[in-house]
Amino acid sequence: MESVTAINKKEHILEVKDFKVNIRTDEGIITAVRGIDFNIKKGETLGLVGESGCGKSLTSKAILGINEKICESLGNIFFDSNDYGLIDLVSLNPKGKDIRNIRGKEISMIFQEPMVSFSPMYTIGNQINECTRLHITKDKAKSKEISLEMMRKVGIANVEKRYNQYPHEFSGGMLQRALIAMALVCRPKLLLADEPTTALDVTIQAQILELMKELQRELGMSILFITHDLGTVAGMCDRVAVMYLGKIVEIAPVEEIYQNPKHPYTKGLIGSVHKIGNKKEERLFSIEGTVPLAMNLPPGCGFYERCEDRIEGLCNRAEVDLVSIGNEHEVSCFACDHEACKAFRAKVEAELDGNIGGN
Amino acid sequence: MAKYILKRISLFIPTLILISLIIFFVIQLPPGDYVDSLISARSAEGEIFTPEEIAHWREYYGLDDSWYIQYGKWMKGIITKGDFGYSFIYGKPVWSVISRTVGMTVILTLIITVFQYAVSIPIAIYSSTHQYSVGDYFFSFIGFFGQAVPNFLIAILLMYWSFKATGSANLGLYSTEMLQNGIHLYNLGEFLKRLIIPIIVIGTASTCGIIRTVRAQMLDEQSKQYILAARSKGVSENVIIYKYCLRAALNPVVSGIGGMLSHLFSGSTVTAMVLNLQILGPELLKALKAQDMYLAGTIVMVQAFLVVVGTLLSDIALAWLDPRIRYTKGRD
Repeated sequence: MESVTAINKKEHILEVKDFKVNIRTDEGIITAVRGIDFNIKKGETLGLVGESGCGKSLTSKAILGINEKICESLGNIFFDSNDYGLIDLVSLNPKGKDIRNIRGKEISMIFQEPMVSFSPMYTIGNQINECTRLHITKDKAKSKEISLEMMRKVGIANVEKRYNQYPHEFSGGMLQRALIAMALVCRPKLLLADEPTTALDVTIQAQILELMKELQRELGMSILFITHDLGTVAGMCDRVAVMYLGKIVEIAPVEEIYQNPKHPYTKGLIGSVHKIGNKKEERLFSIEGTVPLAMNLPPGCGFYERCEDRIEGLCNRAEVDLVSIGNEHEVSCFACDHEACKAFRAKVEAELDGNIGGN
Repeated sequence: MAKYILKRISLFIPTLILISLIIFFVIQLPPGDYVDSLISARSAEGEIFTPEEIAHWREYYGLDDSWYIQYGKWMKGIITKGDFGYSFIYGKPVWSVISRTVGMTVILTLIITVFQYAVSIPIAIYSSTHQYSVGDYFFSFIGFFGQAVPNFLIAILLMYWSFKATGSANLGLYSTEMLQNGIHLYNLGEFLKRLIIPIIVIGTASTCGIIRTVRAQMLDEQSKQYILAARSKGVSENVIIYKYCLRAALNPVVSGIGGMLSHLFSGSTVTAMVLNLQILGPELLKALKAQDMYLAGTIVMVQAFLVVVGTLLSDIALAWLDPRIRYTKGRD
């Protein structure tokens, strides 16, 4: 209950507690998110980093309750809502009125591919204005003015004309701006950005990221920034959570994670990013193997098969948890050399031995 | 939008002229003409003809000229006098032979079209929003069944049941009394009752087709990202289904109107014969067999006209539905 009190003290806007996502498939249930905890502070940007299939998109969609029907959310996602007070988003009916009141108004989302995030059948203005009319005002003239203002704010020129144009008349970068306008038109408290720049070319990427930072300062919102690109994380985020196979393996402030990565997976990720000044002959680091399928997982750490620091007999037998190592830095690795991790390791080892003795 | 419609309409007349040329040419293609088929029929009954008599007939019917001169005369008659030529087998002007059937065919086709959409689209919406439910499986079964079973077979079954239940097979569109007095308000009910079986029989196959198409399209749309984006704005499921999914899903249905009209005409010939319907299909078959070229040509022209109109309407509807079609090159 400690963190729930924290959210009551208005420090955190979002508090994710022991959150799981089960996906029902014909072959059985896949636990794609396997119990994660994190929080987002007011006004901060939390980066959620990991490779494809690690569960980061599922997590962000679960916050809004827009995962597909075959996905089942378990655990709690507490949100500090203006209209509802402290509310557990997981407990809301995904088709109900309450979650729809929060969507778009207090929590918004922008998506990876702006080109397919608008319906080709309606004008951009129609689709942005839909959000305004739903949450702010039914008055046609007023809501249009609000929508136009947000379109101006995200840097769309000639908005009066653009308002009545269709998605196919926009470029990719402009569409992403329009998508941001659509997400921010109701001035949400939390923005979920699911790889917002992945589909854009590099120069446009920088512009969009800059725009997001600007708007964040202006509106005072928090951002959950989901990406697999560590390069953009450095410029965007205050803290970073690294996900692997449905679990958070390390979470720390952004400088800390770059300077002092503890988890072998994080080290691998950072090693795989090209740095200016590197010697040309040096090869980028790559992590061997692929992410295993999250079905019938063996016990132990999910990264065991690919890990360079693995400890046989421990990492493949015992579940590993996040351990705080100070400076807001938490890591879940038995091989970590920090005192707190060593203590945790000793405790787990003792339990394992105790079990064997008991048997 | 207005420019687009104008452009489409301006193509209308040239298309029809081209079609008429092709129709006339094709009808001319088989060896022999009406006089040949007349003579062979009469000879079978024992009559003997002299070459002079045959030549006289040819001249009388205007069959001496080459086909393009005959075509020219035919077109001139249509354009200047609204005269569609002379039907050899009936011995009357073509238009007086088919005027009544044309009206009936158009009415029947329109009613069937409305019936199809009114039945299929709500079912498709239900099926797609309740995928894999009992209702969905039920309608899918009906859908496949309706597409697979030949129309005329359903016609025979329905007539049998109708006869069992009411003592009347409801055969034909008109009762004897209607044929004598025409259709008025007092016998309209009886007339509409007689329409039920033809509508179900002719409409079933394409109704089922539309259900399958729209259902698949709706499901496809529902998995697209813009639906997720719309949902993340907080819009209700109804808006998602009707504003976003349905509009996109109607696209292939609307673009198929033209083709569907032609199918209703030519595809329903066998059914029309089984049900004894006074519509154009059976008439066309008869005309073609007797090489009654002006009658056949006119019937095909009427069909072509309606298909071209249907295509025009579907193009306009499509442009209204889908903005990407409105913006062709040359704009902005």
